[in-house]
Amino acid sequence: MRVVLAEDLHILRDGLVLLLEAHGFEIAAAVASGPELRRALTRERPDVAVVDVRLPPSYTDEGLQAALAARREVPGLPVLVLSQHVEQLYARELLADGAGAIGYLLKDRVVNGDQFIEAVRRVAAGGTAMDPEVIAKLLTTNARDVPFARLSPREREVLELMAQGRSNAAIATRLFLSESAVGKHTAAIFTKLDLPPSDDDNRRVRAVLTYLNNT
Amino acid sequence: MMTRSPLAVVRGLALAGLGLAGLVVWLFGLLAATLIVPFPLAVSAMTWLRDLNRTLARRWAGVTVDAPPRRPPPQLRRRDDGWYVLDRQLYRSPVVPAFLLKMQWLGQDKSLARLWYWLLFTPFTGGLAVLIPPALIVGGPIAAARLLPGPVAPVVAGVLAVAAGLLIAPAMLRVQALWTRFALQPAPDSWWVTSGVGPWFGRRWAATWHGAGLAGLSFAAFGGFLVNLVAALVSWGGLIPVVSGVTRVLVDIYRRWAREWTGAELPEPYRPAPPPPVRDSDGSYRVGRSLHERRETAIRAQRLTAILTDPATWRDLLWMALAPIPAVVGFVPAVLVGFGFFGLVWQALSWAIWAVPLGLSTGTWVTPWYIWYAATDLAPGLTVVPDWASMLVGLALTAAGLLLALPLVRLRVRFDALLLNPTKSARLGQRVQRLTETRTDAVDAQAAELRRIERDLHDGAQARLVAVGLGLAAIDRLLESDPQTARRLLDQARLSSATALTELRDLVRGIHPPVLAERGLADAVRAVALDTPLPVDVTATLDGRLDPAVETAAYFAVCEALTNAVRHAEAQRVTIVLRHHDGVLTITVTDDGRGGADPGRGSGLAGLRRRLGTFDGVLDLHSPAGGPTVLTLEIPCALSSPKTSTS
Repeated sequence: MRVVLAEDLHILRDGLVLLLEAHGFEIAAAVASGPELRRALTRERPDVAVVDVRLPPSYTDEGLQAALAARREVPGLPVLVLSQHVEQLYARELLADGAGAIGYLLKDRVVNGDQFIEAVRRVAAGGTAMDPEVIAKLLTTNARDVPFARLSPREREVLELMAQGRSNAAIATRLFLSESAVGKHTAAIFTKLDLPPSDDDNRRVRAVLTYLNNT
Repeated sequence: MMTRSPLAVVRGLALAGLGLAGLVVWLFGLLAATLIVPFPLAVSAMTWLRDLNRTLARRWAGVTVDAPPRRPPPQLRRRDDGWYVLDRQLYRSPVVPAFLLKMQWLGQDKSLARLWYWLLFTPFTGGLAVLIPPALIVGGPIAAARLLPGPVAPVVAGVLAVAAGLLIAPAMLRVQALWTRFALQPAPDSWWVTSGVGPWFGRRWAATWHGAGLAGLSFAAFGGFLVNLVAALVSWGGLIPVVSGVTRVLVDIYRRWAREWTGAELPEPYRPAPPPPVRDSDGSYRVGRSLHERRETAIRAQRLTAILTDPATWRDLLWMALAPIPAVVGFVPAVLVGFGFFGLVWQALSWAIWAVPLGLSTGTWVTPWYIWYAATDLAPGLTVVPDWASMLVGLALTAAGLLLALPLVRLRVRFDALLLNPTKSARLGQRVQRLTETRTDAVDAQAAELRRIERDLHDGAQARLVAVGLGLAAIDRLLESDPQTARRLLDQARLSSATALTELRDLVRGIHPPVLAERGLADAVRAVALDTPLPVDVTATLDGRLDPAVETAAYFAVCEALTNAVRHAEAQRVTIVLRHHDGVLTITVTDDGRGGADPGRGSGLAGLRRRLGTFDGVLDLHSPAGGPTVLTLEIPCALSSPKTSTS
């Protein structure tokens, strides 16, 4: 699987290259600035891009803008955005086109290599990987919402993991539940929030995130 | 019809009586306004009369007169220490501040002006209309019997008069009710307002009386000058600082009124008070070339010296001495309008109301042009104008007065600005003081901020990294001998480093939020709005980036306002508007919470004000009890390099 990597800090870039290569990824390009990233994305057409939000030369959200621009050109181009901080604002912009294949994680998550690699693979496969912190913020800001208040604590836990982009199987292992129990919880969540039920992980995540974003 | 009409006549009489009572209350109100203390009582009487009339209009004529919208009177605030507070002034007993608060509240009542007019004019309009039927019924037969010859004609005329009186009585009740509605109910979209004619007249009309008011104050100021002069002569100049300190108040009142009435810029010109004297090594206080034993006398001496050496004092005095000259000119429009309109036109128009009853009862008929004749007595040359044309003369004089009013007020304000405005050096002095204050604030805030960062780093991330290092050393030792414990320690180290990262992230957010650096103010505010557990609408029209320091200050100010709205105001919805216009960044934060926020209370707003002060920014809080609360921030700053904003 071919990866384009954009990260301006040398030490982190090298670390990421090592980590990704160790897990069998092929690094198509490892760049350190916005313009380079833009060129690499259009030239290499990677299977997945791992992008730092803040890049030189302007040190603003150049990485994010490059990723968004590339996705406008190649709809559904899998992009995993990394940042030192997560913002609902950016999450919304990334999810706005509804094409999926989006990841948005804190850089801290790299420390847990296996989970990070799993997230990269999920995004490359067209799935979603949202940082728990983004989801936690979304859930707090929605806490006053009436249908939302009807969820049981367990259902909320399931919703939180679901919104991060995890499959039923992953949620089951995480919460020490059987897969069928998770299935029941997700069905209950969808009924309570008045969302169309779906077995497709991706569409499911999108439905949940759209719901959370719109309220 | 048979019972309604006589009833309507009686009701008309009652309403006419109420109209006259209104005039009495109006006079009482005028008296009360000058005496100030009984004013709230007079207003109560006025509103009671108004409400009675509204009820009667609805019951007797079926005309609904809407009550003017009015917020309930504000509550006097009692501090935790038991003192009452109003306008930053403390009071032990609630009586005086409650009265002042009530006066403020009454002063802000826009419907009060309409009430005054209604009370004054009702006896001559609606009150007069309802008097016509009884006058016809009673006066008609009497006049017919006296004036008409023969036995039949007076009877016929009398019966006709009575019938006419009965017939029009209900209609007259309606006329009175409609007059009341017209006078009391604001009709904002009338042609008079929308065409601009009304406001055009209104401005000139107001300028006429404002000019007269300023002229009156000017004469008072001249009186102040005379007092100064006498004091100076009596005391060989020694009393000048004392008296000037007092007359300053007078001139300041003039400045305030001139500002309010004409929108003129007349800032306070006085030099800032000197710093309090410091005790010398020999135990005395030095002020200039004199030594004082006690601190109080030193401060007084210092204050007197400051007044005496302040050029603004002497400019004030010069202005007071010259004040009568512009005052005489300033009275001209008021005299022209007063004599022309009220004397020649209004008197002639309202002549019938009093002169006809007077003529009928006494047989002495006063001419409608009596004021004109009084004028021709003084100036016999005027007799060439026919008396009926005096109304035209009156209108011409009124027009001349109104047309002169605005230019004359402008001229006088320009004269005032010449002497009452701060000199360049005074302005610089004030600026220096302001800069010194805000610089101290900024430096203090900066130092406090650095201390906080240092403490957070020291107790947080730094300590955790040390722990990670220690953990790694232990792992290194245990790797071979006890791999299980080593793994457990490894997990711990990982957790420590994750926590350290979270803490650093929070710290960075508190210093300079990353979104602000990456996206600028508008998106940073949008981001914080998204993280707020309330619906927050953000409207931003900023094409470009602001100065980073301004951006940060504005961002934290908005955060503070949002926190207040969530925490204290119990708001359901917040609206934030950011706008940059004419070199000023304006941010308004509106919430629909319970209001009643007091800028004097709590350190949050004071801190905000200090923070904005560094940038010459101002903060305005409007928060009546019951909401909504509107916080407005204004920071003068430039907007740089237009960059497309994403949203």
